Amino acid sequence: MATFLGIDFADLTLKDALDLAVLIEEEAKDRYIDFAEQMLLHHTPEAALFFSFMSDKEEKHRAELVARRAQLFGDEPARITPAMLFEVEAPDYDEVRVFMSAREALQVAFRAEKKAYAFFSETLLRLRDPGVRALFAELRDEEVHHQKLVLAQLEKTPPESILKAAHVADGPAAQ
Amino acid sequence: MTSVPPAVRLQIKDYKSGLKPIWCPGCGDFGVLQALYRALAAVGRPPHEIAFVSGIGCSSRIPGYTTAYGFNSVHGRALPIAQGIKVARPELLVLAAGGDGDGFSIGGGHLPHAIRRNPDITYVVMDNQIYGLTKGQLSPTSPRGLQTVTSEYGSLEEAVNPLLYVLAYGCNFVAQGTPADLPGLAALIEEAIRFPGFSFVNVQSPCVTYGEDDQQIKAQKAKMKSLQSLGHDPSDRIRAMDLAQHYGRELYTGVFYRKPDPPPTFEALVRERQQELAGKALPRERILDLFLQR
Repeated sequence: MATFLGIDFADLTLKDALDLAVLIEEEAKDRYIDFAEQMLLHHTPEAALFFSFMSDKEEKHRAELVARRAQLFGDEPARITPAMLFEVEAPDYDEVRVFMSAREALQVAFRAEKKAYAFFSETLLRLRDPGVRALFAELRDEEVHHQKLVLAQLEKTPPESILKAAHVADGPAAQ
Repeated sequence: MTSVPPAVRLQIKDYKSGLKPIWCPGCGDFGVLQALYRALAAVGRPPHEIAFVSGIGCSSRIPGYTTAYGFNSVHGRALPIAQGIKVARPELLVLAAGGDGDGFSIGGGHLPHAIRRNPDITYVVMDNQIYGLTKGQLSPTSPRGLQTVTSEYGSLEEAVNPLLYVLAYGCNFVAQGTPADLPGLAALIEEAIRFPGFSFVNVQSPCVTYGEDDQQIKAQKAKMKSLQSLGHDPSDRIRAMDLAQHYGRELYTGVFYRKPDPPPTFEALVRERQQELAGKALPRERILDLFLQR
């Protein structure tokens, strides 16, 4: 569940909103990188590849937002910091499992995109600044687009086998 | 106590080392690590001023995943080593960490003495009710009846209640958190670090591989209750002990007990004693004479 500390959404400026959007993408990117590394370490390459793809996607969106922020506000210092938000778009740590399938990894991403959509939709109602409202509406719609992409990929992914690799998995891998 | 000037405010990423955790995907300790990064960034001590000591186990690998000076020591011995560091270098921020087996079984004998000495150390225990690294043996906090590789017909032992016994030993700061509430856990660890004296944080950090389903993060989210929502006054030790008795049945999060007027820390008393005796100190060459005379 997304949590925020010390952010008054009613008084959010466009600069704050862009900084927040950048940090949301950054948090998600870092989480997908963590997941990709965990999957690789635990011999789960298909899920690792997908999480790596997701981290690249988040980074691309982050870079676009950074460029937009720079164009509008230059290098004005940010008021919003990473410590103020928790798991807005980033999937929860307990979403992943060793030997998870590509389909399960896609479902993790789909739930994360839904979580982000819910945040942008619900927060829209609390915003006062029209520019910020427009930005949040855009970001909300972007999440819908991402959900569709993930669903399309899910449809192409083979169905799950009855036998799961986790049923026959060994214990934790030693370092 | 040194600190980083505001112009060089440290970020979460400044505490993250390049070593990748080998914990199982889904392990609760990932959340604890994230909470720890946030707590350290909030406190703002630079990594080179932090000594982080652990014992042995999955959770005891945690110092290596931070940029602090980490010491992954021997089983159950994080606390004596952490105390030695604190007395020798009282200006350092000293943390200790480990699991329930490390802290309450083999290390159990150290805990009461660390508590009664009251050094300014924060002890974080990742309590998952199992020995995870060694593949699923019964631990001191495993519930009675649990079937494990060392309790094939179900455990016959009652679980240790770590909250109740640290309160009974006189610990001046006792809290419990879970990675199911990451913001809450980060705030608890920060508060524990800032508390002047020995502080204990029990973290219900589930083992995704050997833990029971009803202990996992999703189940914890459904059942956790904050002590604040119960109207608990953390200055009330007796009420804290009453609530602590529900360990194992309820998942209460927050500060159980915080002593309103903490006593001096052990290292402060040691320094005071050294200063008192400094005037009476003999020159080094006379010290042997003193023993020979006796």
